[in-house]
Amino acid sequence: MAEQAVQPRRTRPTRSDVVGTALLAAIGAAATVLGHGYGMVDDDGHVGAGFLPTVTGAFILVTALAEIARMYLAAPPAGTGSLLEGVDRIEQRAARATAAAHEEQRDTFGRTARQRGRAIVTVFAILLGALLLVPVIGLLLALGAMVLAITLGVERKPVLPAALTTVGVVAAAYLIFVVALGVPTPTGLLGLV
Amino acid sequence: MIENLQLGLETALSPTNLLWCFVGVFLGTVIGLLPGLGSATGVAILLPVTLAMEPITALTMLAGIYYGSQYGASTSSILLATPGDSSSVVLTLDGYQMARNGRAGAALAISAISSFVASIITLVGLLLLAQPIAAFALNFGPPENLAIIVLGLATIVTFAGDKVLRGIIMAAVGLLISMVGIAAGFPVARFTFGSVNLLSGFEFVAVMIGLFAIGEVLHQIHRGGEAPIRARFRDLLLTRSELRRSVAPTLRGTATGFGLGVLPGAGATLASFMAYGLEGRVGPNRRKLGSGTVEGVAGPEASNNAAANASFIPTLSLGIPGSGTTAILLGAFVIFGLQPGPLLFEQHPALVWGLLVSFFFGNLLLLVLNLPLAPVFAQVLRLPYSYLYPLILFLGFVGAFAVGNNTFTLWVVLVAGMLGYLMKRFGFPVAPLVLGLVLGPLLERALDQTSSMSGGNLLVVFERPISAVFAVAAILAFVGPPLLKEISRRRAAAANRTPESEDLHA
Repeated sequence: MAEQAVQPRRTRPTRSDVVGTALLAAIGAAATVLGHGYGMVDDDGHVGAGFLPTVTGAFILVTALAEIARMYLAAPPAGTGSLLEGVDRIEQRAARATAAAHEEQRDTFGRTARQRGRAIVTVFAILLGALLLVPVIGLLLALGAMVLAITLGVERKPVLPAALTTVGVVAAAYLIFVVALGVPTPTGLLGLV
Repeated sequence: MIENLQLGLETALSPTNLLWCFVGVFLGTVIGLLPGLGSATGVAILLPVTLAMEPITALTMLAGIYYGSQYGASTSSILLATPGDSSSVVLTLDGYQMARNGRAGAALAISAISSFVASIITLVGLLLLAQPIAAFALNFGPPENLAIIVLGLATIVTFAGDKVLRGIIMAAVGLLISMVGIAAGFPVARFTFGSVNLLSGFEFVAVMIGLFAIGEVLHQIHRGGEAPIRARFRDLLLTRSELRRSVAPTLRGTATGFGLGVLPGAGATLASFMAYGLEGRVGPNRRKLGSGTVEGVAGPEASNNAAANASFIPTLSLGIPGSGTTAILLGAFVIFGLQPGPLLFEQHPALVWGLLVSFFFGNLLLLVLNLPLAPVFAQVLRLPYSYLYPLILFLGFVGAFAVGNNTFTLWVVLVAGMLGYLMKRFGFPVAPLVLGLVLGPLLERALDQTSSMSGGNLLVVFERPISAVFAVAAILAFVGPPLLKEISRRRAAAANRTPESEDLHA
């Protein structure tokens, strides 16, 4: 009874950790199969084009499965007093200190956690839209539109500063990349900049 | 040696190089300060801007960004508890506490001085060691190269802490990404799925910008930011006791950082944690560590700067990156048509020695910039991130296009950005992936050459003395730490059980 009491309790892994690692295992399995198809060795018995992809893929598969097993089966670490373990402990303390500071002070974005989650999705959608616009209005204008959309739509900044920021960054990029470095940025169907 | 230093001085002291060295360390300080950036992001974003420069000028500036950001990152850790770079995370403990105790200026001053002292001491080590190691490495054949690259990958295991398996997986994923396209020596296109754009593989800079710049921006939006603590000029004055107490931790941190920085894959972050751990063990003020002690700032700060300098030893001498940022710098060398490694010292002495000597002037400039001007730089933290991050995204995409010169590169940036964000969010380390990505082509070339010279017998690495030493070291680095950890865990568990059993018997 007493011995059971001192055993540290295992923690359940989060679903996202398991899913992410399983995805990596699947990538490893796919790489192994595809790599094998490229040929492990050539006719002279030398290493072939598929050798390293197969070995790496198999390695990812085995290691990812081991990581999943570790998540479910490994006991929580007991104190060993080693310096590396100390490093882990310090890392956790630093993370807690950072988190504590975040709780005490107001988020400069002025957003709640849920709003921050939504903001990421919106920013990603804006990035996607900007890249789809590149063939139409050109690289610099599409990315300029992205800056304007984020500052106005996501960050809710006033129109004038947002517009000035956009014009400023497009002008600076044009001068540095197009004029000074001679980068042939795509101008799209509009053909402006 | 003296001749080399003279050559280096002549190169580094040219007005153009000195100017861009200043620009590099200045930008590095600002980049390090801003929580959404960091040295790897800064170097990745600004690499395309340097394409029109002479290689030495460009590399001086990019290296300046790297070590300059180590200084800047400490400021945001101390004033905001938000590290600008992972190597300054540990400063959120004592550095931030000192700031909370009204000693923000003193913490910034200790941070700048210990960084400078560590940088100068390790620079001497770098100057003394880099060339002999490179000269020794000239004797290496394909098996030795193969063994040392595997050792470079294996060191990830030694230092991955709790995330050993994840670190290994990410390094392997990096290797896999590096294999996309037509590999040198093989007539087969791999993992292209019929796409012509993938035939030449992924653009390294695009992947870096995506992983670090875009991924970090999305991660920052996820975390949110907070208001900084104000630091004033008069606070920068250190008391005599504070100065005296910082000497020993600075020296201990320098030694720790240099030792770890030399190892491929270890990097400045681990060095800073190790130095802090060491202060917790041997420091005279160890019981107060965490409450805002000078030792808790000086040790880690010296250590991360020492490691940043030392990581150039494997990068320049062996062509194996010592950290994530030096991996990107290694990519910059290749873009400029230079191959880091033993031959670099013979073929481009002015470049190598000019670059190394520029570190001295860069660090001097950084001390001048950071000691009196830290409160001024701290004002950068008041720049609203809401305006800053759209600009980072803009520059990231344009910069990647400038290197890749096709719109497919933009999609690579976006996908890598999403991957970087997810990795940060779910605790998968990014640095091993970068190391895998950089070492992939080198590993495959060494593997191919070793196989050709030995008639397909890869065990030849154990038949040659130098490669055998590296190969055994790689195996030990791979198997040793988890084994030792398990033994220690079992011993500790047994020790915990013993008093209970004794109690039961009593």
